[in-house]
Amino acid sequence: MLFDSDEVSAIVVDLGSHTCKAGYAGEDAPKAVFPSVVGSIDGMEIDDADNANMNSGSTPDSKSKGKSKFYVGSQDLGYRRDHMEVLSPMKDGVVVDWDMVENIWDHALRKCLLIDPKEHPMLFAESCSNSQQQREKTAEIMFEKYQVPALFLAKNAVLTSFASGRATSLVVDCGGGSTTVAPVQDGYVLQKAVSTSPIGGDFLSDCLLKSLESKGLPIKPRYAFKRKEVRPGEFQIVDLDLPNTTESYKLYSQRVIVSDIKECVCRAPDTPYDDTSYSNIPMTPYELPDGQTIEIGADRFKIPDILFNPSLALTIPGMENSIETTSSAHGLPQMVIESISKCDVDIRRELYSSILLSGGTASMQQLKERLEKDLLEESPQAARVKVLASGNATERRFSVWIGGSILASLGSFQQMWFSKSEFEEHGASYIQRKCP
Amino acid sequence: MANSASGMAVNDECKLKFQELKSKRNYRYITFKIEDQAVVLDKLGGPDDSYDKFTSSLPADECRYAVYDFDFTTDEKCQKSKIIFVAWAPETSKVRHKMVYASSKDRFKRELDGIQVELQATDASEMSLDIVKARAA
Repeated sequence: MLFDSDEVSAIVVDLGSHTCKAGYAGEDAPKAVFPSVVGSIDGMEIDDADNANMNSGSTPDSKSKGKSKFYVGSQDLGYRRDHMEVLSPMKDGVVVDWDMVENIWDHALRKCLLIDPKEHPMLFAESCSNSQQQREKTAEIMFEKYQVPALFLAKNAVLTSFASGRATSLVVDCGGGSTTVAPVQDGYVLQKAVSTSPIGGDFLSDCLLKSLESKGLPIKPRYAFKRKEVRPGEFQIVDLDLPNTTESYKLYSQRVIVSDIKECVCRAPDTPYDDTSYSNIPMTPYELPDGQTIEIGADRFKIPDILFNPSLALTIPGMENSIETTSSAHGLPQMVIESISKCDVDIRRELYSSILLSGGTASMQQLKERLEKDLLEESPQAARVKVLASGNATERRFSVWIGGSILASLGSFQQMWFSKSEFEEHGASYIQRKCP
Repeated sequence: MANSASGMAVNDECKLKFQELKSKRNYRYITFKIEDQAVVLDKLGGPDDSYDKFTSSLPADECRYAVYDFDFTTDEKCQKSKIIFVAWAPETSKVRHKMVYASSKDRFKRELDGIQVELQATDASEMSLDIVKARAA
């Protein structure tokens, strides 16, 4: 027994832009993994409907107080509701709507893990771009509203770096909503050299969706049809007309399907993509939920290449409006080189040889190989480039959560928590000292 | 203090032996491991042990910390010596051990006063004599 503690087990939460991961410290993988978006039905509309039905007088007061009703979790979101919008509480990896975030936390803690937050220390993974204000707000909500006994905020790049056995590394986090490149030195994030881009898994999914649509292959959301068995083994698809479905819900439902297509068939090309070289590649079949089989050809390679060359997205019909996103974004190798060149000369060599790939999109086939190849060609000659990603798919996808899980379960870590009594004595700003 | 440091303690014996390596030069290298929530001594190398003996003393699938007293001759034919710190984390070691060693390194290294070169290595090629020479020079 090396490091176990007999304390009550801590809870580890990694709220990413695409997926929320939550579970017990000390375990190998998070128990709860669900989309970090909420379905929201505006309270005012419900009130109006109710009032009209009951034909009772309404005061303007009760209308303006009308609160939105939120739905969280794959199951609740999987059920289509009239007028339900799908909203993200985060923008560029940082929380913008705390009400929604609390709903996500509640779902994770009370519904999935079935715990009372009063009884468990909480370790939260946080983005490198979290501001002091955001950190203090998190501490306030956790101690005052959830009454947790202790809290810790760990930087996600640091957790990934440590979980790979390195105190110094360059962490390339390809997430859903964005890609972040962050240098870590001796457990500190070098903030000035962090570089981010809005090109993540969600953007790739949107590109694939538009590209398929432009080829006459629209993705029918799961709620939009019924599959009836007319004879044993023979199915008939009946389209449903649901005019009150919101555009955001339709997109959410389509993204679920498209991201699966992406994970199944896409693969980073060995060299930069161009239409002519990939015009004759063999097609790969994929069966959609409605039973229709589609064939995907050049897109298998073109879509992942957008990570390397964001402006490629502009060649996809329907993605022309993404020019704002893509014009400022740099490809992965450029982001890596830029970030490293902002660091002290003494550690550049070390960073080049410890580039860690993490996040959901990092599981893309051949991504690691392609990044390494491009960097070998473009980096300074003396650099010894090494891109690493855990061979274990779970470890790759959940490296942040796993790092937090191990850390929070260490006996020696118990003295590091920001405790409730410290919060009461010093206030929320003390988080900056306890979790630098 | 670094973010997400483990809070691991350092056994006094580690500092004592490191002092001896530095001032009395009676060890060529020392390896350290983490046990019972503290960094403790693992192995001591004799003063005449070779670099190969040092690298082979690091286990193939477990993490360690190590210091090595490195003697070399500069291009100007000048005899020099530097103390090298190695954070050893083979790819095949358990993720739990990688996490514990990496999150305890900063604190531990601060206890050892006089380290001039630091390396992280996941296999022998990343701490070859050539690399060490290049870093020390």
